[in-house]
Amino acid sequence: MLNAILRFSIERRYLIMSLMLALIGIGTWSYQHLPIDAVPDITNVQIQINTEAPGYSPLEAEQRITFPVETALYGLPALDHTRSLSRYGLSQVTVVFKEGTDIYHARNLIDERLSAIKGTLPPGLEPEMGPIATGLGEIFVYTVEAVPGVTRENGEPWDAMGLREVQDWIIKPQLAQIPGVVEINTIGGFDKQYHVRPDPQSLLEMSVTLDAVADALRSNSNNRGAGYIERNGQQLLVRSPGQLATITEIENVVVGRFGNVPVTIKDVAEVAIGKELRTGAATRDGHETVMGTAMMLVGENSRVVAQDLAQKLEAIKASLPDGIKVEAVYDRTTLVDKTIATVQKNLLEGALLVIVVLFLLLGNIRAALITAAVIPLSMLATMTGMVRTGVSANLMSLGALDFGLIVDGAVIIVENCIRRLSEAEQQNGKRLDLRERLHVVYQATGEVIRPSLFGVAIITVVYIPIFTLTGVEGKMFHPMAATVVMALLSAMVLSLTFVPAAVALFMGGKISETESRIIVASKFLYRPVLEAALRFRWLVVSGASLLVILCVWLLTTLGSEFIPQLDEGDIALHALRIPGTSLEQAIDMQEILEQRLKEFPEVDKVYAKIGTPEVATDPMPPSVADNFVILKPRSQWPDPNRSKADLIAEMETAVNQLPGNNYEFTQPIQMRFNELISGVRADLGIKVFGDDLDQLVATANEILEVVESIDGAADARVEQVTGLPMLSIIPKRITLARYGLNVDDLQNLVAAGIGGEEAGLIYEGDRRFKLVVRLPEIVRTDIDSLAFLPIPLPDGDFVPLSEVAELELKPAPAQISRENGKRRVVVTANVRERDLGGFVEEVKQRITQQVDLPSGYWLNYGGTFEQLESASQRLVIVVPVTLAIIIGLLVMAFGSLKDSLIIFTGVPLALTGGVLALWLRGMPLSISAGVGFIALSGVAVLNGLVMVAFIRDLWRETGDLAKAVVDGALIRLRPVLMTALVASLGFVPMALNTGTGAEVQRPLATVVIGGIISSTLLTLLVLPVLYHWVHYRSNRYHKA
Amino acid sequence: MNVHKARCLKRWSLVLLIPFMTFALHAYSEGGDDHGHVDHEREMREEARGPNGGKILHEGNIQLELAIFEGGVAPEYRAWIERDGKPVGNAQLNVILTRLSGQQDRFTFSRRDDYWLGDGIVTEPHSFDVAVELSLDGNRYQWQWASYEGRVEIAADMAKKVGIATQVAGPGNIERHLQVYGRLVTPPDQKVQLRARFPGVVTAVRVNVGDRVEKGDVLAVIESNESLQRYELRAPIAGVIQDRSVNVGETATDSTLLTVISHETLWAELKVFPGQRAQVRSGQIVHIQHNNHAHESQITNITATTAGSPFVLARVVLSNDDGDMAPGDLVNGQIDVEKIEVPLVVDNRALQSFRDWTVVFIQVGDIYEIRPLELGRSDGRYTEVKGGLNVGDHYVVENSYLIKADIEKSGASHDH
Repeated sequence: MLNAILRFSIERRYLIMSLMLALIGIGTWSYQHLPIDAVPDITNVQIQINTEAPGYSPLEAEQRITFPVETALYGLPALDHTRSLSRYGLSQVTVVFKEGTDIYHARNLIDERLSAIKGTLPPGLEPEMGPIATGLGEIFVYTVEAVPGVTRENGEPWDAMGLREVQDWIIKPQLAQIPGVVEINTIGGFDKQYHVRPDPQSLLEMSVTLDAVADALRSNSNNRGAGYIERNGQQLLVRSPGQLATITEIENVVVGRFGNVPVTIKDVAEVAIGKELRTGAATRDGHETVMGTAMMLVGENSRVVAQDLAQKLEAIKASLPDGIKVEAVYDRTTLVDKTIATVQKNLLEGALLVIVVLFLLLGNIRAALITAAVIPLSMLATMTGMVRTGVSANLMSLGALDFGLIVDGAVIIVENCIRRLSEAEQQNGKRLDLRERLHVVYQATGEVIRPSLFGVAIITVVYIPIFTLTGVEGKMFHPMAATVVMALLSAMVLSLTFVPAAVALFMGGKISETESRIIVASKFLYRPVLEAALRFRWLVVSGASLLVILCVWLLTTLGSEFIPQLDEGDIALHALRIPGTSLEQAIDMQEILEQRLKEFPEVDKVYAKIGTPEVATDPMPPSVADNFVILKPRSQWPDPNRSKADLIAEMETAVNQLPGNNYEFTQPIQMRFNELISGVRADLGIKVFGDDLDQLVATANEILEVVESIDGAADARVEQVTGLPMLSIIPKRITLARYGLNVDDLQNLVAAGIGGEEAGLIYEGDRRFKLVVRLPEIVRTDIDSLAFLPIPLPDGDFVPLSEVAELELKPAPAQISRENGKRRVVVTANVRERDLGGFVEEVKQRITQQVDLPSGYWLNYGGTFEQLESASQRLVIVVPVTLAIIIGLLVMAFGSLKDSLIIFTGVPLALTGGVLALWLRGMPLSISAGVGFIALSGVAVLNGLVMVAFIRDLWRETGDLAKAVVDGALIRLRPVLMTALVASLGFVPMALNTGTGAEVQRPLATVVIGGIISSTLLTLLVLPVLYHWVHYRSNRYHKA
Repeated sequence: MNVHKARCLKRWSLVLLIPFMTFALHAYSEGGDDHGHVDHEREMREEARGPNGGKILHEGNIQLELAIFEGGVAPEYRAWIERDGKPVGNAQLNVILTRLSGQQDRFTFSRRDDYWLGDGIVTEPHSFDVAVELSLDGNRYQWQWASYEGRVEIAADMAKKVGIATQVAGPGNIERHLQVYGRLVTPPDQKVQLRARFPGVVTAVRVNVGDRVEKGDVLAVIESNESLQRYELRAPIAGVIQDRSVNVGETATDSTLLTVISHETLWAELKVFPGQRAQVRSGQIVHIQHNNHAHESQITNITATTAGSPFVLARVVLSNDDGDMAPGDLVNGQIDVEKIEVPLVVDNRALQSFRDWTVVFIQVGDIYEIRPLELGRSDGRYTEVKGGLNVGDHYVVENSYLIKADIEKSGASHDH
């Protein structure tokens, strides 16, 4: 089969070349359609159901909204789990579906369920599904600000409300129409409202109730169409306009009659533009601002969408009122461009180095170019594959691509062809004719194609364990493994088709294969060393074994990290204040924090979102702020070489001096992922499920005590659920009855008076603003005088609030979290200096013994230990199976277990260099380094394969084992050196890179460079020695 | 030999690859650590604790355990002194607590059943430098350590920047008010309904509705039917003619002819509800608010209204010199329920809740510390302090929330 393909490729070489042109075409098209992002998307298939419930406390939100919504979702197909949180004014249920569920289908299912329960929810509340976006969705953030000193048309300075109006009605509608944008989420400023603020005393005086005011406004602000009439053949539309439009009109609405005199709104209330009771705010560079965040639709190309947004924003600027400044503060394009730049740089430098190395060693520029051409061609083929399989291009998927490895197969084939061609030329003493040349190419390729194909197959097999990872790790590494495998497979196909065809086509001229000086010198040195090694084989073998043992020990001392932190270039930090902190207080604290951060010369912009935005994609209480610190380009730093970790450390020290804030440093995309995935991120999470919050907290604290007393427990803590101060206005039922009031009457008044009651909309063209009846600020915010608030009685008299209700100030639940339809409180703990499995076992046992769970309460153990356990279990099976497959492949290639095992020794020997290199550079063991080791094993096996194959063939031809070993090794010196140099030099730029994405590539490159040095030395020395030794003994044995 | 070799090789590779994968996995757990915080309180809790839950102090063969005991009694010091693991009975033990303000609390211990008891209550907050002196058989032992709670340090420039401002605690007034509503009425003595003394024909009416009259002004002249004498109807009070139901030529019988009303003084009848009644007495000062004008007066009397009404009426006499008040107007009255001078008050803005206490934060240099307060009466602005704070202490008034936030912040978290 292989031979048939080879023959076909060489004979139909022009066809192959035109196919390559087609590949270039398809590849270029694919490149343009490849979704490019900075990092792999690790969000699960989830849908948020947000229900805004103005004025609802956490307890009510849970009881009236969250519970019915959760119940409605029971039994959805492909449902993984639900979780929910109920907070002031918001119920959010997050539905997580099994991997691979179609998000649109899932949304349909939920929509159907939600429409069924609409009747059971309190009137006026509408559950809505969150935007169809993932953790990568927040691609573009801009702020709307006023230029200082510029005033509005009416002469007043721009305030937060005015800016919000500009955002809501000028900017947002335009940006929301850009393809690929699913939502423009606004935070900051105040929604403009028309406020009617009745004075309690005037109401009493005029015998008007708060309700009556709202009713009057409602029934006096409407436009009605009244059909049409025909007159003299004409059709007249009939309409009765009555909508309120201005403050004066609102003021003149009649609310009642005092004797014969009509009482108007003006008589009892003040009408003015007012502020909403907002749940979130935004700040930038130390002052309040209005901020818009563009969310990208799932699966769109973030670079394209972000660019469109930036362009549109630029165009919008012209339509803005004077003195309004709109500026993008976060643009994903920057990060994506940096990523692409890194990859491009590596591709280019890698290719150049490969050409140089090949030229130096082969002494033939055409051969070098042919080999190097494999790099872009296989890249294009890989991209086509990525587009077809839906793998996005990002730091992880492209970052681990390794060009040296890709061209290895081609290098071996080209080298052999050149050698054989020049040999044939020398034998013939003249130029070869076409037929001869084709034949030589065919033979030369055939000689090495099997081992190099097997080599590639083996490398592909080594990636299998990565495909068995699941969850977040799986999402992180599958694209990488898939990309590498695709690149390798395409390179394999290319070396089978394109390489021989190109060699046959282009190597027509005189093959000037005068062995380059480097090779001659190397061979001169290599022969005596090899011969010495063969003589002192005991020394060589035991030395190599010692080295391996040393490195295994060294490996255990290396630090390790599982998921590499991709440097996004910018910094994000949570600023956490104690629960119950008010929004205005948080803004004050935030402004000081931002001013401090801005003092760093490295910082370009600082912006923050406090609390919950308009669309509750990330519902935070006002006490939490997401800060984004956008750094200047490194060239503008005072010290461009300063490490980011160092900068963060200094920032942390600086901001820790600000009183009242706690911080968690992270990165923008990472932060968003954490918010969305939202699992327990400690080693062990013990979830306590049950009904009564106090009981849950009590049980959780008992469990905490048990956990803390166990060896190895660290950072044990109970999730904070209480601590929101709450003013309860508790009706006195008997007294209320004496005054002829119902509890409802009291609650309505309190709700309308303090929270406000909507009484319709005021239209200004397209813009619409809420008309709200609410007590004047001075009355509603003064707790002391609230007690004296007069409650109107049915007979026109009144009674003070304190007479019919008790005012109580006490802490209440800040947030109620539920999971799978039950309240829960989580106890988390990390484990230090102890094996996780044993720790978890002991915790389980001790809790069963010492904690008495009330009936109706149960526990659930989760946390990363679960993933670790399942991943370990899988790997314990998969890794040996993989190794068995490799050996199986080697046996298939050689039909000899002995030879296969000899080649296999190359793997541990190659790894020694990688381990040493990591140790020298002080790098931890990570998956990236692991990929380097995988690549190394491939190179080692590949070299070993080819070398053993040659030695064996020579041995068969000549029958002299010792001579075959030495000659075979000498013949293979050049390709081994070439693959080694190509792979290691190609990685030098990567190993020294500090650009975006370098953290993924650096360990990989380090391992490969170090490993290849050891692998080359050992392949050249230990392998022949082993081969000679093993076969010499068995030979002798056979002969004896 | 070959078989052996093969086994060796296979083991090598397994040895190398499996640990690699497991290390990588294990690393994941450690990667999660940076998300958690090290809780300092918890670190302290991990110190050596004795069998009685106290702090263990060692020197030579002497062991002293010192605990603050709070079970059911006011916090007190208890100590257990042992030599070579056996309780001793002849020791002299003193504990001196130095608090932030420099105040020193000294405790002398005396022997109880199986422990030593310090004399006196360990007052909150339990935040001090502890010095322990033990005399035992002529040997002296000393230990010292710091034990702080609810304490935080903020540099002066930072405090200024974030707007933390202090005041000196001292005496002040507590003015408690009660807000009530009521309507203005004409005092009964300010309204006169004039009738004819003798029936007769009205020959002249000198005034019309709205006219001002002085006391003694002639309002009308009537010719008596019996004596045919004319007599004058004079104004008994100064006031305004509110009603006139008579004209020249009409016969005056015993119906009301003219009504003179004086608005010079008005009564505000303020409704006092049962929950407020206990605090209201005659003679209290009342600030009446009427159409944004303030009037000050006193409660003249308090009377019940007609049966069935839940409230009583507190009457306040108001002089209507400006004439801007009218009967029937609704007024809002602030009754000064209590106005007392107390030796120590704090500004209400300074009060914060901390655990189960209401606290203020005192400032000594750059250090701020909680002071749990025992509070007395309060008005909207100041609150009387009965204990927990000393006159002359600097306490944080503005942005006191920041101090609370800073002390409690280690607990602030954002669990996703």
